[in-house]
Amino acid sequence: MPAPVQRRILLAHIDEPGYTSDIDCYLRHGGYGVMKRAIARQPEELIDEVKKSGLRGRGGAGFSCGLKWTLVDRKSGKPVYLVVNADESEPGTFKDRHLIHQDPHQLIEGIMITCWANNVRQAYIYIRGEFPQGARILERAIQEAREHRFVGRNILGTAYSCDVFVHRGAGAYICGEETGLIESLEGKRPYPRIKPPYFPAVLGLYQCPTIVNNVETICHVKHIADMGGDAFARIGTPNNTGTRIYCVSGHVRRPGYYEFEVGRITLGQLLYEVCGGPRPGRTFKAVIPGGSSAKVLKFGERFRVKLREGSMAEWSVEDIPLDFDYLSACGTMGGSGGVIVMDDSVNMVEALANINAFYAHESCGQCTPCREGSLWMRKITTRMVHGGARAQDGELLQSVADQIAGRTVCAFGEACAWPTQSFVQKFGDEFRQYAETKKTAKPVTPLV
Amino acid sequence: MTTHLPAKHAETGGGRDLKKADEAALLDLLETLEHKHGFIPREISEELTRVIEVRLERLRRIQGKLDSTIRRDVKVHVARWREEEGNLIMILHAIQNQHGYVPREVAMELARELGVKLARIYEVITFYHYFRLQPPGAHSLTVCNGTACYLKGSADLLNESRSRLGVSEGQTTADRQFQLEVVRCIGCCGMAPAVVVDGQTHGRVKTSDIPGLIEAAKKQESKK
Ligand SMILES: Cc1cc2nc3c(=O)[nH]c(=O)nc-3n(C[C@H](O)[C@H](O)[C@H](O)COP(=O)(O)O)c2cc1C
Ligand code: FES
Repeated sequence: MPAPVQRRILLAHIDEPGYTSDIDCYLRHGGYGVMKRAIARQPEELIDEVKKSGLRGRGGAGFSCGLKWTLVDRKSGKPVYLVVNADESEPGTFKDRHLIHQDPHQLIEGIMITCWANNVRQAYIYIRGEFPQGARILERAIQEAREHRFVGRNILGTAYSCDVFVHRGAGAYICGEETGLIESLEGKRPYPRIKPPYFPAVLGLYQCPTIVNNVETICHVKHIADMGGDAFARIGTPNNTGTRIYCVSGHVRRPGYYEFEVGRITLGQLLYEVCGGPRPGRTFKAVIPGGSSAKVLKFGERFRVKLREGSMAEWSVEDIPLDFDYLSACGTMGGSGGVIVMDDSVNMVEALANINAFYAHESCGQCTPCREGSLWMRKITTRMVHGGARAQDGELLQSVADQIAGRTVCAFGEACAWPTQSFVQKFGDEFRQYAETKKTAKPVTPLV
Repeated sequence: MTTHLPAKHAETGGGRDLKKADEAALLDLLETLEHKHGFIPREISEELTRVIEVRLERLRRIQGKLDSTIRRDVKVHVARWREEEGNLIMILHAIQNQHGYVPREVAMELARELGVKLARIYEVITFYHYFRLQPPGAHSLTVCNGTACYLKGSADLLNESRSRLGVSEGQTTADRQFQLEVVRCIGCCGMAPAVVVDGQTHGRVKTSDIPGLIEAAKKQESKK
């Protein structure tokens, strides 16, 4: 089956010649029109639209956005904050950067609609420290929007006031985790908080109810307010509505970002047709479908999956539709939408050594299983690629990983255990072979 | 002000080395005098004390001026963010923008100004990878070592950069011209492997591009 065509809603103007990040350009393209209409409606109606839309978070967990908004504690009398998660740090993910750099006003319009719907008076955009240019672009865009009275005091001449503030991170992956992010916003080390009781919807920023959503999620809100929740829900597949941006990197001929209806494209279509297939003379070996934390899929693997209508199907990797549910059914996840492709030139031990170096460096150190476990996994894979591989290293790695997952305050524990678990489980032979040949790799450089 | 010393000193806990060197110089001088006169005449030792006092006074004035500049600058940064809660990280960004790193004197002044313990400030500075405790080189070369870049050959780029610059990641060349860094994924995986030179991102970099990137950066004005 030929791949569907891209459905560019969020990326409608991105990469369009002549389209700039200026507000004038945005206004010429009908910008802030949706917000004007939204502000004339009751906030509850907008929350209903988002609920009906079925929108699921694009930051990693795929949690229902409408449900998240309804969980907000509105009876406490405390202010409600919105925090936009622009910490985009998951290796293999690069959609938020483009949304911010090339169409910042789309994000700001989404933010203002979200704020109005949830009676938020202060919103924060938490952008990772390594995106100084993105921070400047956002600050300028907010200033422009303020001058046009889309942001700030008495928005569009109404009694409603709401400000947006850009907060820069400072180079720590854990700040992407929502409660770590909140700690960081408070000016502290980003040690994630334990849930319960610290659900952001109840006890978030400064102990006030807080909504944390990903950049892409918030951009979708604008289009939901525009077309209505029902229309949005008709895009994509049931329970996996709308479009999403897939970021493809690694060994394909045409890496890049592509927007498709969720679940209407399979991994095979994306990699072979959209991205041009493997490089000449190569074949695909493995793919990580949702950012480096997602479990790896091995080409040649078979999956027995229960379809939505109830019947069973047997799939290969190429057949898996890219949505939240079917990827989970195949033992991995849609995660952040970062699709990392590896061809037969890749040695899986070495690739895992690189991933382990990342997680060991980024563990915040709060929980012992994660701090020590990620460190030991790095030590083992580093030793392996430096000529010291042993026959039982695969099992050893597996046992360390098994003792991290599920035993930590935040999901970083799973994020660092899953790569190791899946690499060893699916490519166990390669780990054993490595010990036999004692092949010394190109040095894999741990992060400093 | 140890932090303004060349890296050689700063990195080896230079303060102590410097004191030792000064002491040695002073002892040398005294020995020379003793040798010349057989003993150190009172007039000479008094004159010496006077000269040293004058010099020290001048140093103190310079230090005082520096201190007040630091105090003024810190006040400006704090005032800019005073209204925002949880402002520490943004203030540290402003300080690092100004100096290229967070000098110890400035951190101390910041602690005073905010009325928090110095440890609280260092707890944050040292956790976040982005903040530096040492002055940076005039130029920087940063290689992305995220998974996508790794797959596309970032290890080769790093090796080439190391041998071209003669330093490892985290270090600065002896002439303080270039500093080599490694980062995690910087959101440019679609054009992997990526390298950042003086804040400018380059995609699809080949090993053979590295020397040219270094030379081009050297020709530019220093980034600060
Ligand atoms: C270790 C870790 C890192 C994360 N990093 C990010 C990130 O960089 N960006 C992001 O949007 N969400 C990230 N998340 C997910 C957030 O915790 C949170 O679920 C998300 O921002 C919610 O937004 P959404 O519902 O719109 O997806 C991370 C989660 C974990 C456990
Ligand atoms: S891995 Fe280098 S930019 Fe993402």
